[in-house]
Amino acid sequence: MNEALHPSSLAASKRRIPVSQPGMADPHQLFDDTSSAQSRGYGAQRAPGDLGYPSGSTSPQTAFLADPVSNMAMAYGSSLAAQGKELVDKNIDRFIPVTKLKYYFAVDTMYVGKKLGLLFFPYLHQDWEVQYQQDTPVAPRFDVNAPDLYIPAMAFITYVLVAGLALGTQDRFSPDLLGLQASSALAWLTLEVLAILLSLYLVTVNTDLTTIDLVAFLGYKYVGMIGGVLMGLLFGKIGYYLVLGWCCVSIFVFMIRTLRLKILAEAAAEGVPVRGARNQLRMYLTMAVAAAQPLLMYWLTFHLVR
Amino acid sequence: MAFTLYSLLQAALLCVNAIAVLHEERFLKNIGWGTDQGTGGFGEEPGIKSQLVNLIRSVRTVMRLDFQVKKKSIYLYI
Repeated sequence: MNEALHPSSLAASKRRIPVSQPGMADPHQLFDDTSSAQSRGYGAQRAPGDLGYPSGSTSPQTAFLADPVSNMAMAYGSSLAAQGKELVDKNIDRFIPVTKLKYYFAVDTMYVGKKLGLLFFPYLHQDWEVQYQQDTPVAPRFDVNAPDLYIPAMAFITYVLVAGLALGTQDRFSPDLLGLQASSALAWLTLEVLAILLSLYLVTVNTDLTTIDLVAFLGYKYVGMIGGVLMGLLFGKIGYYLVLGWCCVSIFVFMIRTLRLKILAEAAAEGVPVRGARNQLRMYLTMAVAAAQPLLMYWLTFHLVR
Repeated sequence: MAFTLYSLLQAALLCVNAIAVLHEERFLKNIGWGTDQGTGGFGEEPGIKSQLVNLIRSVRTVMRLDFQVKKKSIYLYI
């Protein structure tokens, strides 16, 4: 019966013959293919090629089709995988709000360009309100004022790389230092977010500033940090201090103008100085958050520029 | 620059522990932060102090209920 299969196998250039009879359970069939092909004789000249890819492209298919046990195992494994995928998909939405995250990454090139310009030069921008569309904020693609997570994420990664570059030019580089930089920056970010959330809770601010929004706003300072370090690499300490000073002031103004709309009451956002202890406290909070940005920008970069 | 995420976790654990071991009678009442002295009714302005008092009380309550979580986190830390 196996002899009858030879011509069909010979017709296909790389096919191997199924070794076991149907009904014989042989879990090691895949690995016996090459030896059986050699033992049949005509596989000898193809054996080197066959040994090159032990689980070759067509042999598992023929092997699976022939062996019911492997067939069953494959079906069981694929059903397990599908179940696992379902479970992950169901549960991932509990921990990380994936659909909400998609909003923050809906950016395009023009938005990124305009936002970067705004981060470096926020003095001429007049209208800082985020446009709404039927009670939901408009995606960042359509409104420059909307927060996004693309720029902070890219800026963070670039910051780690630029830190590695800076350390490398000073012969202080080692791979674990990269991880240390990244971890340190992330830890400061987490600490900032927690501190701001705590103070927002204490001051009982009714704001629609979500945690992800906050992470996005706090991540914008990495752009200034990158600029400062790169200038510091090119032009030494003078360049570093100049550009860092400029970026610090810009981020300060940017944060104040952005957070004022979110934290302070509507009346105060129009520019009218509203009296009252509550609004004063909120103003102090905004100023404190904005003032912490330049401090952290300096703290996270000064050791990189010598 | 040894400020890592792990040290942040450690600091958070120690802070929670510190809040948990504040003694109600001997300490908080003496500085007027007791739980029965905090909320003065449903006014408009809770104020920072009453928010803090509420926060401390809720952290302590969560700690009392969630012993398993606390034990596991302490084991991980050690």
